[in-house]
Amino acid sequence: MNMAQSVPALRVTGLRKSFRRPAVDGLDLRVEQGKFYALLGPNGAGKTTTLRMVAGLMQPDAGAVSIFGIDALADPVAAKRITAWVSDEPMIYDKLSPTEYLAFVAGLWGMDPAVADRKSAALLELLELKPHAHERCEDFSKGMRQKVALAGALVHEPKLIILDEPLTGLDARAARLVKDALLARVRQGCTVIMTTHILEVAERMAERIGVISRGRLIAEGTLDELRKQSGSINTSLEDVFLALVAEQETAQ
Amino acid sequence: MSAPGSWLWLARHEGRLALRDLRHLMTGGGRWRVRNVAITFVLLAIGLHLIAFGVVARHADMTLAVGTRGFTSITGSLLLTFFLLLSQALEHVTRLFYGRGDLDLFRSSPAPLRRLFVIRVLAIAVSSVMMSFVVALPAVNVVAALGGLRWFSALAVAIAAAVATAGIALSLAALLFDTLGPRRTRFAAQVASAIVGSAFIIGVQAVAILSIGTLSPRDFFDSDLVLNHMPGPESPLWIPARAVLGSAPDLALTILGAAVILVVPMVLLSGRLGGYAIATASVSHGGSRPAWGARLFRTASPRQLLQRKEWMLLLRDPWLASQTLMQLLYLIPAGLLLWRFYGDARGALVVLAPVLTMAAGQLAGGLAWLAVSGEDAPDLIATSPISPLYNLSAKVEAVLIAVFAIFAPFLIGIVTHSWTAALVIAGAILLAAGSSTLIQIWFRSQARRRYFRRRQTSSRIATFAEAFSSVAWASAAALAANESWYAIAPAIVAMLVLAGTWSIRPR
Ligand SMILES: Nc1ncnc2c1ncn2[C@@H]1O[C@H](COP(=O)(O)OP(=O)(O)O)[C@@H](O)[C@H]1O
Ligand SMILES: [Mg+2]
Repeated sequence: MNMAQSVPALRVTGLRKSFRRPAVDGLDLRVEQGKFYALLGPNGAGKTTTLRMVAGLMQPDAGAVSIFGIDALADPVAAKRITAWVSDEPMIYDKLSPTEYLAFVAGLWGMDPAVADRKSAALLELLELKPHAHERCEDFSKGMRQKVALAGALVHEPKLIILDEPLTGLDARAARLVKDALLARVRQGCTVIMTTHILEVAERMAERIGVISRGRLIAEGTLDELRKQSGSINTSLEDVFLALVAEQETAQ
Repeated sequence: MSAPGSWLWLARHEGRLALRDLRHLMTGGGRWRVRNVAITFVLLAIGLHLIAFGVVARHADMTLAVGTRGFTSITGSLLLTFFLLLSQALEHVTRLFYGRGDLDLFRSSPAPLRRLFVIRVLAIAVSSVMMSFVVALPAVNVVAALGGLRWFSALAVAIAAAVATAGIALSLAALLFDTLGPRRTRFAAQVASAIVGSAFIIGVQAVAILSIGTLSPRDFFDSDLVLNHMPGPESPLWIPARAVLGSAPDLALTILGAAVILVVPMVLLSGRLGGYAIATASVSHGGSRPAWGARLFRTASPRQLLQRKEWMLLLRDPWLASQTLMQLLYLIPAGLLLWRFYGDARGALVVLAPVLTMAAGQLAGGLAWLAVSGEDAPDLIATSPISPLYNLSAKVEAVLIAVFAIFAPFLIGIVTHSWTAALVIAGAILLAAGSSTLIQIWFRSQARRRYFRRRQTSSRIATFAEAFSSVAWASAAALAANESWYAIAPAIVAMLVLAGTWSIRPR
């Protein structure tokens, strides 16, 4: 147990990726097991690019990614087996029903069909998709599609869940369901990393917060630690965030 | 200004929408540049007139005296045009009911829906007439220039035919609605449109093969076999043909008939059209059926899982299925050829081998595009614990298995005649299909599946490469079926095409 605790759920060192300009610029990140970790940053800071490299969707120019001690660049399949990815634009199959989609995902992760069935039924219930379980996803709203995508990410019991802006475009009720589902997973020992531009969500849910600007991690810690770092005690995360980003911009 | 909801106001609304569509069609969504559009238009006009010259110039001096032989070929050409227009009109009518667009807005407004539908049906007739201009005007110009202005009566007949197609399409759609219900009508109408569009060509070819053994529609209309079955020159069957040649009473009858065919269904049905449109709005695509797909997925290995998913997505999308599989309608004449020459198959095989190979190459290209570029959830697949190579090979297999399943009946038919020929053709099908699949993999670029038709413009290189390799493999198949060693030459060309395409693939 001690041994397992010492291995971080995610460790990123010296991660780099350039398009025309550097998008991720020597980023280091460490997320301990069982934490809810939020990545904040202004638009274009490199959050999505970072997470896509972590999820194995994009090859970094340099750096290392280690997921539960597995070198994700050297052995991507092993890393993917314990990881789930949810993008901001829910990509699911229009012509499959949620039940079928979950069966397909479970199959991709090689789950036992009986176990998968049980988990899929429970998730559909939890995310209030049960009434639509056998309808094709093509008529679903953005929020419903996002919930299906999330169910797909949870059904194979990943140890690490990576989400990129999972709450954009969701109504209050759907957002609440998604947040609750994620918090429940964290309580069960899962690690969640999520980007968001809704500071309030990060403030309320995340145990640790990382702030990215121009492809680098400029601050990291609990909300209190961030407050101290920015020198503005008793202020909201919004003030802290703006102060940190402004500080870095003037430094450059 | 016209009052909102009035006939004129609705017509202007339609006109604006039509203009916008036309602009999009001509500029491909880019900016509207008068110069570019004018150049495109002039080049298109010149091209069409050149083609028309080649086809109809020698008929410019034809008069009413030509009798049955001339009437037959004129009626044949008219029918060809008519089926083409009808296929278009059917698509438009389907869109009338199923294209959501602004219908919801109109339904929630006080503007009379019935009036809107009458205007929209008229708009379909107008677009059909425009289409008939594209088809008929170059030919009419050519014969009029060579044989006199009297030929413009032919244009009037083409317009009448176009007007009639709108009425027929409307009646057919209403009939489908009442018999099949809103959910199946869309698919049925799309299939009907595709079949109607190709039916005439196929029908003529099929009859020609059965009776004479050639593949050209023109030879068929000129053959004595047909002429002996046709009625005399006084028959009412020839009214449109006589109208084309300038007979005034026949022209009046044709125009009157077309008007009746359009107006009667429009008046009778316009009240019900709104109801149809409302019915389509409440169609849920999936319904609440048990998830048979889930059961198929549960029992599958990862490889089978990926393949079953591909097939399921295709089969559940009637539009895509018809877009890909409809090309196969053109194989019906090939099947007939095989059957007809069953006794002495050598000659038939030399024709069949390239036709089947070509079709397999094209079909595989479409299916591979759907499987590789048209993947709806690329992130899911890429973050799953399945290696990219495994995923790709499963998809290639899915495409090749589907191609072979479709061509199996032909191969079985050939096997009973000659093992070697069947092997040669099966090999050629595999090579052509495999080549197209590889090209699609090299040139993959994520796209929505509904842009299936636009894939050809998005990568012209891939489209040309696919066509060249299919043609080369088809020639190789023809020569091999003829037991000629020269087959090696086009096979080498095909491989060079592949190598060249590979070397310029995007990375
Ligand atoms: N595929 C791409 N091609 C070119 N530039 C990209 C691509 N993806 C991201 N970028 C650029 O990289 C930078 C970081 O983008 P991103 O990671 O999406 O930021 P964030 O998610 O923090 O808003 C931006 O400047 C963006 O324009
Ligand atoms: Mg982003």
